Amino acid sequence: MSSQTATTEELFADDPLAWAGGDYRALHRLGQTELADLQLAALRRRFADLRGGLAVLDAMVADTGVEAIETLGDAIPLLFSPEVYKSYPASLLRRKRFDVLTGWLSRLTTVDLSGARASAATSIDDWLADLDASTDLRVQHSSVTSGTMSFVPHTHSEVDAMFSVVGARVRGGGDPVPVVWPMIRGGRSGIMRCADALAEHVAGGEDNVHAMHPGRMSADVMLLAGQIAAARARGEDVDADPGLLARREEFEVLRRESEAAMPGFVERLADTLRGRRVYLMNTWNTLHQVATAGLDRGLDGLFAADSLIEPGGGTKGAHMPDDWQDRVLRFTGADRLQHIYAMTETTALHPMCGEGRYHLEPWTVAFVLDPATDEPLPRTGTQTGRGAFFDLLARTHWGGFRSEDRITVAYEPCACGRSTPQVHDGIRRLKDVGDVDKINCAATDSAHRAALDHLSGGS
Amino acid sequence: MALAVPAVVRGELVEGPLVEFGGRGETGFAVADPAAVVPRLGRRNLALSRELAALDLDEVLDYLAELGARLVDNEYLDEAVERSAGLADTPPGLVRSNHRLLPGLFAREATEEVVAAIGRDVLTGWPERRMADGRVGAVHAFGVRSAHVIAGNSPLIAAMTLVRTAVTRGEAVVKTPSNDPLTMVALVRTMIDMAPGHPLTRAVSVAYWKGGDEALERRLYHPAAFDKIVAWGGMASVKHVVRYLEPGLELVTFDPKRSATILGPEAFEPAALDDVARRLALDVGAFNQVGCVNARVVYAVCDTGAAEDLARRVYAELRELPPTVSTAAGRIDTELRACLRALRAGGFHTVVGGEADEGAVIVSHLDEPVGFAGSLAGRVANIVPVETAEDAARHLDAATQTVGVYPAALRHRLREVLPLVGVQRTVELGCAVSVHPALPQDGFEPARRLVRWVTDEHLPAGSDPLDIVFPPHREEDP
Repeated sequence: MSSQTATTEELFADDPLAWAGGDYRALHRLGQTELADLQLAALRRRFADLRGGLAVLDAMVADTGVEAIETLGDAIPLLFSPEVYKSYPASLLRRKRFDVLTGWLSRLTTVDLSGARASAATSIDDWLADLDASTDLRVQHSSVTSGTMSFVPHTHSEVDAMFSVVGARVRGGGDPVPVVWPMIRGGRSGIMRCADALAEHVAGGEDNVHAMHPGRMSADVMLLAGQIAAARARGEDVDADPGLLARREEFEVLRRESEAAMPGFVERLADTLRGRRVYLMNTWNTLHQVATAGLDRGLDGLFAADSLIEPGGGTKGAHMPDDWQDRVLRFTGADRLQHIYAMTETTALHPMCGEGRYHLEPWTVAFVLDPATDEPLPRTGTQTGRGAFFDLLARTHWGGFRSEDRITVAYEPCACGRSTPQVHDGIRRLKDVGDVDKINCAATDSAHRAALDHLSGGS
Repeated sequence: MALAVPAVVRGELVEGPLVEFGGRGETGFAVADPAAVVPRLGRRNLALSRELAALDLDEVLDYLAELGARLVDNEYLDEAVERSAGLADTPPGLVRSNHRLLPGLFAREATEEVVAAIGRDVLTGWPERRMADGRVGAVHAFGVRSAHVIAGNSPLIAAMTLVRTAVTRGEAVVKTPSNDPLTMVALVRTMIDMAPGHPLTRAVSVAYWKGGDEALERRLYHPAAFDKIVAWGGMASVKHVVRYLEPGLELVTFDPKRSATILGPEAFEPAALDDVARRLALDVGAFNQVGCVNARVVYAVCDTGAAEDLARRVYAELRELPPTVSTAAGRIDTELRACLRALRAGGFHTVVGGEADEGAVIVSHLDEPVGFAGSLAGRVANIVPVETAEDAARHLDAATQTVGVYPAALRHRLREVLPLVGVQRTVELGCAVSVHPALPQDGFEPARRLVRWVTDEHLPAGSDPLDIVFPPHREEDP
């Protein structure tokens, strides 16, 4: 494990903001060579620290024969596909074998899970709640793809390091900023976990988070929703879990309330936050929904012009009108949208600059792979292909991630003045976007309703 | 220069002007401009229908037999093999192997079986049946005008389409796929060389356009132009077609399917194991697993250890298959390789092989197929241990086409129950990939679906029509 005295590359990777002396701006203005050297040193340290302690990495090393990392590119065969985070048999969830799932999860993280009481859990919600309570792990679950759910083992400390950067970026050293959260407040999916971190690092406390609904999005219901949607796509029926059917009433109340909540929410925002500088980060479709609810009620120019409105994650499968960005700007009164690029598997919100490029946070190493062969394209100039990343912030799990996105990366410094590599706008899924088996997190909210419909429809 | 693919309109070659399309691999190709060709494909020609209906069935079968003979050492097919690299799902060597199977489909004994599947009597005459109510019903099978959206994973599909069209004396417009824009054109060019102007030659048109091009297809697919649309394969191609359906235009689909294998405990007896491994390797690997008939998930009544032993044997047998039947994929499926790595890391599966593009056998440690079972390709199988053979049934449904079974006694038991969940074919282990064109496929009889069943009815002389219009009339008014 790592030595007692933190080396500079260790500090850079563990707490980039502290490394930069609290100067977020400086993090994006390192010399290219300096950044690459720091990244390589940090990557080598992560590899050395995790070898022998992380079963999944050891298996990958045995599989690929990559025993040492001499260059950044050496890590490419060791990048994890999204499949790694759902490489457990789906029946374990149905059979409620959370003890076995905990064993699986312990292969993916160095966090000691021996204190978890997984065998007592009767639902995913219980299981994850227990992990939250008994360990530093803050597992982020995915929406449901092809009937299964991914579990990415981030820790509280890692997410903390990431959001202290977000806090610095948003607050610039100043006062807490109210967080507007146009969704259900609680939950353990990638995006829902953000609300917890934003409460701490941006809002300065729960009181300053303005959520549409105080409830909690259930992982079990999301899984059921995804399975129902997948089954419907195949023309089949899903037998709802009796345990979920028993919770029907609870879900019903949440459904009725969340469906009805948006109009009241925008009215509350108008009453409490009009003219204030706010932070509002969410998926494109959710931002459009809240804007539409507001504009329908004649509410526009609601917040201060220097508010930070951060759309990320694309349309999530929803149909979006061409003018959705204008509508969001009109409703919020912000003078611009700060687009971000983010994914559950890595700890960063990469912000877009004035030139329309997503700047990769410096603790994220970007690779572009030839989609046909997985061979790396040169880390120079501008390259298009499969996006792959190494998240140096990850110290308890392996940060290497081979995404399903087709991206274009520019490695040379940007006209905006930042030197960090940039991802061009226009990120697409490599797989066919219209794949009927692909139900993604986007549909979460409506799929959630479909699940509740299914439960309340009785069996 | 991109490969140029002509179109054929009613037996006439259309070689230009050309428009380029990207292929599914890196290779693109250029086809006769669909905007000019497609509008010519939607017209009915009653004179041609009359000529076809008047053809003697034996003349049709002779025509097909001669065509079959010309498919041996055929220059157009040779060219199709050479140009298939980068387009076809399999390496050129396997395309050639498939082409070697084509002449057999046109041989007299094969086409007679297709005739028999429909009924020689209804194709050549009006066989009469006296019905219980007294009437005499005569039945004749007429050819129809069909649009065929064919799949490209097997050149045999093009040949089966031609045989069925000719035997029924129907008319076919064939939309070729981007993974095989060549075979159908090669076959029809051979027909043109052999019998230009023959009604059977003029009965076939072939074109490529991008499937789902609504501006083109909306004007083509309507009841005034076609009686049936025959759609093969992928969900996307079937979905494209469905939106054009309306009364008068019938859809015949060979839906996207998967196939599976079920092995009873007898498969693991020492005397059987070698044979089972070889047969299973053939079901998995023949023609590189590009067909819906290839085995992918293998449900085996055994424990994990026995499954792992079988996996090693099957992996070895896969590599021993003759190169005319199966080869390494030739290109690495990066997605599948990433999935295999994830499985190795996850701890719930054993993966044998899969180092490069040679194929692999995955063993599930629990009785559940891998999450990406639908994407298994390039000779990759998944052995799933189950407690009883019947346990496999809960994983099978109407999307399951073929189930290879060992031993025979188990097959006899399963053929009574698997169809109840939707399975359409059970077959001796090792024979899964060989589909017989005269047997039912996907749960229906293709050749019998490609005709219009016409009746001609009359009463015996002296009968009172009121007797059959309202039979109680006889009792009321003796």
